[in-house]
Amino acid sequence: MEKISCKIKRFNGSEAWYQEYEVPYEKGKTILWLLTTIREEQDPTLNFTSACRHAICGSCAVRINGNAFLACNTPLDEVIETFDTMTLTFEPLQNFEVVKDLVIVWEPKMEKMKKVKPWLEPTANGSKETGFLQTEEEFHQIAAPTDCILCGVCASECNQLTVNQDGYLEPFILNRAYRFAVDSRDGSPEEHLRPVLENELWKCLHCMQCVSKCPKSIPLTDEIAYLRSETMKMGEMNNQGAKHAYAFHDDVKKKGRLNETMLPIKTDGLVHTAMTKVPFALRMIKKGKINPFHFPKEVEGIAGVRALYEYAKEVKD
Amino acid sequence: MLAFDVVVVGAGGAGMMAALSASEGKDLNVAVISKVFPTRSHTGAAQGGINAAMRNRDNTDSTEKHFRDTVKGSDFLADQDAVEFFTSKMPSVIAELDYYGVPFSRDQNGRIAQRPFGGASSPRTCYSADKTGHVILHALYEQCLKNNVQFLNEWFLLSTVVEDGKLEGLVAMDIRSGKIHPIQTKSVVIASGGFGRIYWSRTTNAINMTGDGTAACFEAGIPLKDPEFVQFHPTGLANTGILLSEACRGEGGYLVNKDGERFMKRYAPEKMELGPRDLVSRSIETEIREGRGFGEGMTSYVLMDLRHLGEQKIMERLPQVRELAMEFEGVDIIKEPVPIRPSCHYMMGGIHVTDHETCSTPIDGIHAAGECCSVSIHGANRLGGNSVADVVFYGKYAGLGAKASAKRRQLGNAQRLAGETAKWEQEFQRIREKQSGISMFDIRNRLAETMWYNVGIFRTEQDMKKAYDTINQLINEYEDAYAGDPAEKYNMAFINYVELGNMLKLAKAITLGAIHRKESRGSHSRADYPARDDANFLRHTLVYKDGENYRHEYLPVTITKYQPEERKY
Ligand SMILES: Cc1cc2nc3c(=O)[nH]c(=O)nc-3n(C[C@H](O)[C@H](O)[C@H](O)COP(=O)(O)OP(=O)(O)OC[C@H]3O[C@@H](n4cnc5c(N)ncnc54)[C@H](O)[C@@H]3O)c2cc1C
Ligand code: FES
Repeated sequence: MEKISCKIKRFNGSEAWYQEYEVPYEKGKTILWLLTTIREEQDPTLNFTSACRHAICGSCAVRINGNAFLACNTPLDEVIETFDTMTLTFEPLQNFEVVKDLVIVWEPKMEKMKKVKPWLEPTANGSKETGFLQTEEEFHQIAAPTDCILCGVCASECNQLTVNQDGYLEPFILNRAYRFAVDSRDGSPEEHLRPVLENELWKCLHCMQCVSKCPKSIPLTDEIAYLRSETMKMGEMNNQGAKHAYAFHDDVKKKGRLNETMLPIKTDGLVHTAMTKVPFALRMIKKGKINPFHFPKEVEGIAGVRALYEYAKEVKD
Repeated sequence: MLAFDVVVVGAGGAGMMAALSASEGKDLNVAVISKVFPTRSHTGAAQGGINAAMRNRDNTDSTEKHFRDTVKGSDFLADQDAVEFFTSKMPSVIAELDYYGVPFSRDQNGRIAQRPFGGASSPRTCYSADKTGHVILHALYEQCLKNNVQFLNEWFLLSTVVEDGKLEGLVAMDIRSGKIHPIQTKSVVIASGGFGRIYWSRTTNAINMTGDGTAACFEAGIPLKDPEFVQFHPTGLANTGILLSEACRGEGGYLVNKDGERFMKRYAPEKMELGPRDLVSRSIETEIREGRGFGEGMTSYVLMDLRHLGEQKIMERLPQVRELAMEFEGVDIIKEPVPIRPSCHYMMGGIHVTDHETCSTPIDGIHAAGECCSVSIHGANRLGGNSVADVVFYGKYAGLGAKASAKRRQLGNAQRLAGETAKWEQEFQRIREKQSGISMFDIRNRLAETMWYNVGIFRTEQDMKKAYDTINQLINEYEDAYAGDPAEKYNMAFINYVELGNMLKLAKAITLGAIHRKESRGSHSRADYPARDDANFLRHTLVYKDGENYRHEYLPVTITKYQPEERKY
């Protein structure tokens, strides 16, 4: 009979090791079934968390062969097919503190989440006695972001977070900020937006890991784009990210292409660029990677580019 | 020693509502202990909605109609003063939830949308798409963050310590460190949820719904009210028990046995698959018992065939159902029929609440709310959408009740608490050191099996007595149960061991209540007593545990407005 070999990362509070188990393959099962079978039939000391077993409580996310999944709604057959192997390596989510085996701690994340005031700051249009009126469209704006089950998959896979745990916010925290900022019942969107900006909102690397792995398909990167443009509307232009975005915007509008030489200067300012990027630029010039005397001309069809800008602006307004 | 004014046990809808109301004004030191991180609580699984006569969709609805529907649905076993209190104030609790930021679906006028639900004479179920419980749970958690409610997450309640009919405090384990703590507190709210897991694989409930708070109160001398009333849902997935929505049958799904026959023609020739939940559940089990199901034993099933609806209708009307069947049963309902079997869904019975305005119990200082207890507003059968409502509503009042108790009471006796803590420390030590014994998973599975077959959808005296004997034997075997993990920190095997002990006690109480209720009422359906018997049984059962002795009594039902009549739909 076919067997699945599982290598599970164990941790007992002080030591970590990988332990191997073999489970007879069964068709049509889930990853949670696999973990439960190991625990109940082979090793009761193995720990992981699960509760609802139908993708609503957010307890059961783990990493399999380097990718985060919800264990309960991920078909085993799909994982075998995707990775084209019967050998599966299990690890706890990244970017979380681990208590034991595959079990992680959430409290520090919730303390961090408090920065964005993850609760409704009600407007004066409603009251505790009467509630609110809200249109169907207004409800639809908060429908997707309130699907979040706090499973941690996005945070585990976020490449910025992996290198910048202290500075950057978990995508699920950005989602909470977004969710309240766009709620028609919330009277203080800036209270949710400002802390997002102050926590390096512009550092998202656009790696798309969060949005492609979210088990609830929440459009996290669209939300990040929205947060950026809203903070710019708040007049928050005096930060690297916004300046970078404006530099892009202006260059392409003027010439139809990016002036890469000027981009760091516009983003970081002349002094900062001179101090940090000049040595690097000099090395690049030496190797012939950039030509400092080349200033980009307008591309052919610049009129079309500008028309696109006008159109985008109309659509946005 | 840890000391609080109020401790709430449970962070589901009931627990968090209680914590919010008890901590309002910030004059008391309130803590919530929960064995899981708050947003993992089972309230999140509720999809359909929450009932309140808002009159947004139907202005002929009224709190009075909600009152009458609930009483009728309960097969007249609900206490009518409690139901009226609940239905009359429910609309204001929905407004409060709205103010807390719950994203309710809306109608064209911007008011909270409402949908029809079984047993309701008007469409009064408020909802947020198909994730109502989830969004309520998260909004309550956000409010708790806002109000700096203290959470002790992954703390497990072991005992409620009581002396001379009064609360002294609690004993709980911090699962992460493995340390067992006495907790002094002036009052508690138990909000530990249901216990469908006594039927293990045949339940829609989360893995941890084991009734720990209910068992702790039972052990401390509080009786269980009406434990025999257990609601079953006809269409759980065969492998896992996961709920497939009522909409499957509503949209025209067929139920088919292994001979390819639409067997409902034998039981409900007119309504066929659209018969009421309990009738359909009984029909499916009859087919299986009489050998016309697929598979064997606990893994038997029948098929629900939706293929004739066609791909388009399935994709339009039942996309969630298709996803669930695909993910959890590996079946695409467009192409294949899906294996289903009834699943235990909800416990009407639980901790005996004596005062519906404060949710107090017979023990001074202990209050209870949510599925762990029985107020009773659900009587013999709960209506869909009334549980989440019950949870937030009575959670709030239990919080206020506990607040008042805390202001009146003193902290408990530290010595008595230390004694109970030492007892649990020894027990933990014993289980960690135990090298062999009877597998606790085996005991758990045998409990589920006997409950499913003998105290499930059909009940007869003979079967239930057999179950009672089996449970007694399992209680004996439990003394030698083997958990298998010597660790101190995060020892979930020990937690599962304690949960199993709790389930055994609760199962025994359910069975005792069921044996003695010689009638059929609501969810309690007896083949040997098929009729309702108001002369003898229009009464609440109270099951007590005095040491190892289980006994029962009856308590009159409060009837204010609606005299019992035949329950016909
Ligand atoms: C699949 C499904 C769908 C449902 N749909 C609906 C619906 O549409 N409408 C409706 O009205 N009802 C519905 N119900 C019923 C309803 O969801 C539940 O009855 C209700 O949510 C229970 O809430 P609660 O607050 O009492 O408990 P729960 O939300 O279950 O919370 C229990 C809490 O107690 C804690 N706890 C338990 N034991 C311990 C311990 N030993 N120590 C510390 N903490 C402990 C847990 O950690 C948890 O926080 C549904 C139920 C299921 C299973
Ligand atoms: S067990 Fe709840 S999300 Fe997987």
